[in-house]
Amino acid sequence: MSLIEVRDLRKVFRQAKKDPGLIGAVKHLFTQNYVDKYAVEGIDLSINEGETVAYVGPNGAGKSTTIKMLCGVLVPTAGEIRVDGLNPHKQRMDNAQRIGAVFGQRTQLWWDIPIRESLALLKDIYQVPQPLFKRNLEAFTELLNLDEFMHLSARKVSLGQRMRADLAAALLHNPKIVYLDEPTIGLDISVKQRIREFIKQMNREHGTTMLLTTHDLGDIEDLCERLVIIDRGKIIYDGKLQAVKDAFARERSIHMQLHSELTDPSDLFAHLPDVQVEQTEPLTLTIRFDRFRITASEIVKNVMNQAEVIDFRIDEPGIEQIIRQVYDGKLDTAALADSARGA
Amino acid sequence: MGFRKYVSLALVSMQNTLAYRLTFILNFLSSFVGLIAVYCLWQAIFADRAELSGFSWEQMKAYLIVTFFVNSMLSYYSESGITSKVIDGTVAMDLLKPLNFQKARLAESLGSCVLEGLLSSVLICVFAIATLGIPLPSDGWMAFLFTLSMVSSILVKFGIVYCTALICFWTTSGLGVIWARMAVTNLLSGALVPLAFFPGWLKTFAMLLPFQGIVNTPVTIFLGKMDQQQAILLIALQWGWIILLWFAGKWMWSGAVKQVTIHGG
Repeated sequence: MSLIEVRDLRKVFRQAKKDPGLIGAVKHLFTQNYVDKYAVEGIDLSINEGETVAYVGPNGAGKSTTIKMLCGVLVPTAGEIRVDGLNPHKQRMDNAQRIGAVFGQRTQLWWDIPIRESLALLKDIYQVPQPLFKRNLEAFTELLNLDEFMHLSARKVSLGQRMRADLAAALLHNPKIVYLDEPTIGLDISVKQRIREFIKQMNREHGTTMLLTTHDLGDIEDLCERLVIIDRGKIIYDGKLQAVKDAFARERSIHMQLHSELTDPSDLFAHLPDVQVEQTEPLTLTIRFDRFRITASEIVKNVMNQAEVIDFRIDEPGIEQIIRQVYDGKLDTAALADSARGA
Repeated sequence: MGFRKYVSLALVSMQNTLAYRLTFILNFLSSFVGLIAVYCLWQAIFADRAELSGFSWEQMKAYLIVTFFVNSMLSYYSESGITSKVIDGTVAMDLLKPLNFQKARLAESLGSCVLEGLLSSVLICVFAIATLGIPLPSDGWMAFLFTLSMVSSILVKFGIVYCTALICFWTTSGLGVIWARMAVTNLLSGALVPLAFFPGWLKTFAMLLPFQGIVNTPVTIFLGKMDQQQAILLIALQWGWIILLWFAGKWMWSGAVKQVTIHGG
């Protein structure tokens, strides 16, 4: 059995609906209207020990809600969750002992006491034996460079420092599972890099299972082999990251700088399938095409027949494009599901 | 094993209180100013009489000081700490940890109580020297009962504060709830006016509620207004409420957890 098993998980929030303005507010005193917001609508998910899974989706898709239910913080409306054999909500204390969590937007450190002491308090809370605590603390201090701000309170450190401290706090008790909810939000590239390295190392050395939500596509490409995409409360893709890339990163773009202006650039590719030409400036062309149906050299040849090309550049498709397509609702999710089955 | 974490939590809470020492002291001084005001008010009332409803001026002074001491324990400062956890969603962070929410809050409250107690003792000593002549408990046994009832009073207050704080899960706003609780507590605990001054029906009503255990019990024991047996009975009553409120809190919490709705991200 998998370490994390989720079956048909649902969460519905009741939200009070008020009519606008003063009249609405007065009306609300007497009659309350509620709308049900379906944050998560029937999710199935299983994650094995040692996996690192990226859980992505647009804002409001239900990512954090899912994570909070997995942590035992939110009570599911329906469905079943098993995390290491436990029901996270009903056995919250036991579950909490085995998991670590980082919520990028909140800290679990104490605001007003030095980080060193926050960590010492967590040692007592999680009942970490002294030798293990010492070992972990030394390792984390080095990996995350905590030394420079250990003596400061969480209130006083920068966001990047706080995130590093939060990561250390979440992993201090060697949890089996770590949930990371946007761990690199708002961080600069060097801190991001450090955090990613740390996450990778923890996964490698301790076999820690990681579930990560992020909007940072660098995080996904760097950390995760498996990608789960959620949109409007439903999982629309679950499979290998590479498979998505192969299946959906078909589109390539070539940007060309021309010497002289073309009269009618779209005419150039009239005989070729699915080629889109865009003239961003009089002398710049952007051509999008399906790399499985037409080669880059064909495109370039076509243009060079008509005009002199000074410079050109090909955009390598990233996971970013795919996810953007999902977010915009442009991607054919049925095809995605097919590719997941194939993968 | 499981106990140690709560002790650590209490110690950190003390540290936390010290980190906010200025807010804490200012809060404290403002209630001290309140004490002086009430003192002057009662002084005027007692100006041309020797006794009021069985209270002499000396006893009234003692009453005011003990009330101040009791009230400064688990002050607004610690109370708003519990409610704000619920309101601003940090309760989610607490739920992530292997901590029992109620025990953790109790540990934190007791931690800051130690400091609150120390500070108010200092102020009271100053005040007592300035005003002079406060009748102390008659013997060691009564002094012991007073101390016991003081400690119990803190626990009764915690029970009430905790239950009201949990109401915020449903109301999602804290200040109104705290104010309402303070008003009710101040009146029915005897902090505003001794219960002895109440009309008979109101006094009976107050005695049926847990609030009297906060101020009335320790104060009347301190003033020696009852014999040992009655004092022990009142302390037993306090403990009845402590246990009842603890389970009420537990029960409310299990309902409240389902109300947790923290969005974002």
